[in-house]
Amino acid sequence: MSVWSFLASLVPLDLLQGLAVTGKYLFTKKVTIQYPEEKKEPADRFRGMFGFSEERCIVCYSCAKACPIGIIHIASRLEEFEVDGKKKKRQVLQWYDIDVKRCMFCGLCEEACPTEPVAIWLTTKTYETVAYERNERLYFTKERLQNWDGVRPFPGVLTPREGQMPDDPKGEKGKK
Amino acid sequence: MASPITTFLLIPLVKIVVILTFILLTALYLSFFERKVQGYIQIRYGPNRVGPGGWLQAVADALKLFAKEDVTPTKAERFVFLLAPVLIVVPALVVFSVIPFGPTDTWRLTDINVGILFLLGVSSVGVYGIILGGWSSNNKYSLMGGLRSAAQLVSYEVPMGFAIVSVLLMANSLSLVRIVEAQKEAGVWYFVPGIVALYIYFVCGVAETNRNPFDLPEAEAELVAGFHTEYSGMSWAFFFLAEYANMIVVSSVATVLFFGGWLPPFPNLLAPLWASPVLAWIPPVFWFLLKVAGFLFLYLWMRATFPRYRFDQLMRIGWKVFIPVSLVNLMAIGLGVLLLGGAR
Repeated sequence: MSVWSFLASLVPLDLLQGLAVTGKYLFTKKVTIQYPEEKKEPADRFRGMFGFSEERCIVCYSCAKACPIGIIHIASRLEEFEVDGKKKKRQVLQWYDIDVKRCMFCGLCEEACPTEPVAIWLTTKTYETVAYERNERLYFTKERLQNWDGVRPFPGVLTPREGQMPDDPKGEKGKK
Repeated sequence: MASPITTFLLIPLVKIVVILTFILLTALYLSFFERKVQGYIQIRYGPNRVGPGGWLQAVADALKLFAKEDVTPTKAERFVFLLAPVLIVVPALVVFSVIPFGPTDTWRLTDINVGILFLLGVSSVGVYGIILGGWSSNNKYSLMGGLRSAAQLVSYEVPMGFAIVSVLLMANSLSLVRIVEAQKEAGVWYFVPGIVALYIYFVCGVAETNRNPFDLPEAEAELVAGFHTEYSGMSWAFFFLAEYANMIVVSSVATVLFFGGWLPPFPNLLAPLWASPVLAWIPPVFWFLLKVAGFLFLYLWMRATFPRYRFDQLMRIGWKVFIPVSLVNLMAIGLGVLLLGGAR
């Protein structure tokens, strides 16, 4: 054993340096976000709970086809109505159900949606969708997709029924 | 006058209960503070949900351990397996009988004239708990952990002994109370002349208590949990308790030997200040506990900082570095005592 390594073992300057580093971090500001009290605002492209607009939906079934696991269940019927004395037919949503418990939030349904702005979107910044019972509470019908019954919206975020838009979950752009 | 029953039975019993309660609570909350300190060093908060500020976390942990099932492996040596936790926890608690918390007889259980010898002797018994626990579990990891711990304790007991002897030379006594009083008379705490001895003592103390960076007996990467792999519930809690109690012992002894025990800072120089009505109400035990807390914090700080030594590095430091250095240090201090006439 050399003299140098003997001294290095006796006076471990490297370890003291380590102590200095950890001692410094003892007093730095903590990075923890105390979740239920503090919430981190998700990024704009964060994919959370579904937003759905029945008005914009044209019942094209593209989202259901795009869904890789087939959890979007749509049924529609033809409805007749009169415009300027002419009889016309239009597809009307009967069901629009999403089995959110199996959703992987890939966002392919949103990409497939042909309307502008899209009728289904995931950029809602809302992620508190927990439920005690998954089959009932995490199966969202078209009404629940719009009024978010059982979902706690991220603070400041509107529900789709209150006028949330795909690129504007807080409804701020409408105010300006 | 007080009857012999009061003097020799009642008062010591009350003191024992008080000391035991205090040590158990300290050990309990030391684990809480360990998690807190580690959390703060890792830039997070640590446990802060149970009770206000997380203060009931330690109580919750204790209740959990009480409620857990105590599993004994089928192939374990049952009697020894159950004996080992007792063997490790009893010495760890018994040593507190000689530790002086304050200047008067009220603040300590006993003052025996070979206090430090008693302390070393009793605390060495603790290694039996580790070896027997490791052996009786009938588990290779436990056995390896027990063997490592035994080797570690035997190796580091030697330089630790030399470091303590250098203090005994300066104080010219084996009694812990007398050592503190000698520091007051000398006007300087022994960490000044014995800085090397303090360093060696504390590092060896860390090794003796199997704490980071010398926690090889419990190296989870290699040995699962070392000698207490097979223990659960209350018998595991005993090992846990003994580890923390031993930390408190090492810190208390370091305080007594090197930092003047219950003495306030600069007891002679600032004597008028400490006697002034503003500061006179501070009990001496406050200074003792403050110093112990400082050492305990150093333990936790090191735990959160250092990686583990390899076993051969551990042995090399013990035998090739600390033993020669502590021997030379002992000779130097002996020479100093001889020349300066410290020894009477």
